[in-house]
Amino acid sequence: MPRHTDKMMQNLDDNQLVARACAGDSRAFEILVERHYDRMFRMAFKWCRNRESAEDITQNACIKLARAISSFKGRAAFTSWLYRLVINTAIDWQRQNVKPTEELGDETVAVPAGVEEKMIAEEGLAKVMALPEKEKTALLLVLGEGLSHKEVAVIMECKESTVSWYIFEARKKLGVKTDKKERHHG
Amino acid sequence: MDERQLKDLLNNDVPATDGNARKRAVNLALAEFADAQKDSSKNFQGKGFWTRLTDRSNQTPRRDKMNSKLVYGGMATAMALILAVGATLPHMNNTATLRTGAIQNGASSAPGSMGLSKDKVEADASSTLAMAEMAKPMAAPAEAKKGDSFNSLLKNLKESQPAPAAPVMESMVMTGAANIAPAMPMGRMMVMDAMPQPGYHDVGRDKFEHVEDSPVKQVKAEPVSTFSIDVDTSSYSFIRKQLNSGVLPQKDAVRVEEMVNYFDYNYALPEDKAEPFKPSVTVTPSPWNEGHKLVHIGIKGYDIAATAKPRSNLVFLIDTSGSMNEQDKLPLLKNSFKMLLDSLKADDTVSIVTYAGNAGIALEPTKVSDKAKIIAALDSLGAGGGTAGAEGIRTAYQLAESNLDKNGVNRVILATDGDFNIGITDHNELKSFIERERASGVFLSVLGFGQGNYNDQMMQDLAQNGNGVAAYIDNLNEARKVLVQEASSTLFTIAKDVKIQVEFNPAMVSEYRLVGYETRALAKEDFNNDKVDAGDIGAGHAVTAIYDITPVGTAPSVDPSRYGASTSAAPARPEATALEYGFLKLRYKLPNGDTSKLITTPISVAGEKPLASTKCPAGAECLVADSFGASDDVRFSVAVAGFGQLLKGGKYTGKLSYDDVIVMAQGAKGDDPYGYRAEFINLVRLAKTMPALPNTEQ
Repeated sequence: MPRHTDKMMQNLDDNQLVARACAGDSRAFEILVERHYDRMFRMAFKWCRNRESAEDITQNACIKLARAISSFKGRAAFTSWLYRLVINTAIDWQRQNVKPTEELGDETVAVPAGVEEKMIAEEGLAKVMALPEKEKTALLLVLGEGLSHKEVAVIMECKESTVSWYIFEARKKLGVKTDKKERHHG
Repeated sequence: MDERQLKDLLNNDVPATDGNARKRAVNLALAEFADAQKDSSKNFQGKGFWTRLTDRSNQTPRRDKMNSKLVYGGMATAMALILAVGATLPHMNNTATLRTGAIQNGASSAPGSMGLSKDKVEADASSTLAMAEMAKPMAAPAEAKKGDSFNSLLKNLKESQPAPAAPVMESMVMTGAANIAPAMPMGRMMVMDAMPQPGYHDVGRDKFEHVEDSPVKQVKAEPVSTFSIDVDTSSYSFIRKQLNSGVLPQKDAVRVEEMVNYFDYNYALPEDKAEPFKPSVTVTPSPWNEGHKLVHIGIKGYDIAATAKPRSNLVFLIDTSGSMNEQDKLPLLKNSFKMLLDSLKADDTVSIVTYAGNAGIALEPTKVSDKAKIIAALDSLGAGGGTAGAEGIRTAYQLAESNLDKNGVNRVILATDGDFNIGITDHNELKSFIERERASGVFLSVLGFGQGNYNDQMMQDLAQNGNGVAAYIDNLNEARKVLVQEASSTLFTIAKDVKIQVEFNPAMVSEYRLVGYETRALAKEDFNNDKVDAGDIGAGHAVTAIYDITPVGTAPSVDPSRYGASTSAAPARPEATALEYGFLKLRYKLPNGDTSKLITTPISVAGEKPLASTKCPAGAECLVADSFGASDDVRFSVAVAGFGQLLKGGKYTGKLSYDDVIVMAQGAKGDDPYGYRAEFINLVRLAKTMPALPNTEQ
């Protein structure tokens, strides 16, 4: 293994770092975790809408990653794979915990103007939280993370059309008017 | 609410990450990573997390761990293919999508770029700062590989399917304030399509139920351990087949107890013939954890003399679906059954039912004395059509019942390679059908053949619910072992619903772990419940169970109660506390009985023996000659258990290595008349040389 300075390591891409981590390089692993912590946290937060829970989920996901990394096979992008890890961790968390809708704290919903808008937002979020796991996953990845249906299909291990269907269902349940342009997205 | 509002709703108010939480997560992950590395030095492939991630869709064919070499080969290819050019444009805050001809470039110029890759990385590193200002190619080369690995990479490249579309590269600008690599655009590459489909082994399609290893339990919290015995051996034969064909078996294919029970052990037989067996308990030091001890429980059922064997009414239920049309399936099966015929008595009856599309009776019940007719029927079987297992099972049971011999052995022997894909495909329905039939006195044994489509879980379930044995037959030798040599144990049940319960003594033992038997765990209240089904013992069967225990540092001489469970002040058995590790209870029913009988024995300190040859070593003073160490059988079974655990990942086996297993097994080979133990040692050697994750070359 060629010796790399830390700075060089920082410049390695995910797959290179994964390969090194799999070979036992803990610094490579550390860089990976640090590099993706924010992304993981963001996803976790969007899932549970609560800072502490999101931190817990992210932490668990990071720990899982330590063992899971050797099974990353490069069939999808590392980040896709990571999304999946976080979402699965979040689902585990959700199954073990009380309904996340009850945990909506003040900090989570802060719509700047007007009480009424705030209530609408809160209501909307509650509806999102109540979505079935798969629809919620698809919605958060497509609308929350801005991924294409194709990418989400990889993450969710299903067909693209299934993702579109999840999104469609989720929108229906949330009472969102369908945007024609969006329909052909991905 | 419209699209825009929903988007805002989802994305607004996501707080910035907290530095402390982040640090904590990173540190915990690093600690786990260090642990994982320690484990994987023993462990060829790490925990299959991908499998766990996908456990909700495990039905899809998986390329499993044994393919990791190939997959990694694929990954290296992917890295070469990602020699894509991502451009980070100045002041670009939104996602930039660039389509490049990266794949073609990558593939055609691979040799050159591979050679250059290292330099490129370093060049990138030196100009990191410049990156934000100018569009600059970002190399994402694979680690430079030399020699063989490079050639294999090229080979992979050639074999890889051309990607249908160039990959979409998006460079994302992280918004996080504390981004560790701010100058590094996050290349998110969907390289799925560029992935070669790794030529994975057929075995990846064999279905195994994933079961977590039995965990370490604290005696104080859970002093009682209960499980059903298991006399199946299919796991060992399957693993042997895998190792012989050069792949490490899937971890889920490894059931340690089945590996251990594959071998015959000469444990003590009961003095009194009224009891079908008696347990032999040995305590030895653990070879894999210093300070730990193993409690070894051996059970040997008495054998039935050939002349005393009851009449057999056997129905061969043979899978003749198209998938059976392989040398190691139907032809092997026919030969196996012919062997079995030779070991049957003249007035035993045999019938043959096939299932493929329509279930059919290929041979009405026929006396073995008319052997030519049976063989002709067997020979006329051909493979073709789908698999309607359930129909076949119904017909087979009907035949067995029509010819039922109350004093004899009535058994359906199912031979198949896997799924029942037509008819009743509902696993549970099939299971309950077999369970009901069991009450009528017809038992079921399952013989597995071939691989690629092998449905282990189904076989296990069926055999377990049908009071039968599941065996896997990979060659004629194995057929001989199962159907001739062990015919009496395969066919004649001497005790059914055999359950074992061990209560550990908290004064002596702080923790325990049952090695294997994960799929056989019972609730402690099931032990005395005669309605709860458990495993059966055939004539001459040997069953072994091993507990890995952690003794309490110093054994207290007085303890308030025998096992601490009682809240009363008076010690129940003060004399026992320092002398017993625990108490073994065994329940069984006679083959036709409905009420269980109980056998008990303490696991005493007196039964402790060193894990060494029985020969009295020079210099040691032995009271009785040739009983110094644990018996060959005990030591050999411990070696097999060690190997099984290593194959499962070596989570609990400390420093134990394949070499240790080989040494232990060598020293305990004993007579080994059929060479099974020698074969085991060769298997361990094979496993040892089998490539682990090819990450050592990096």
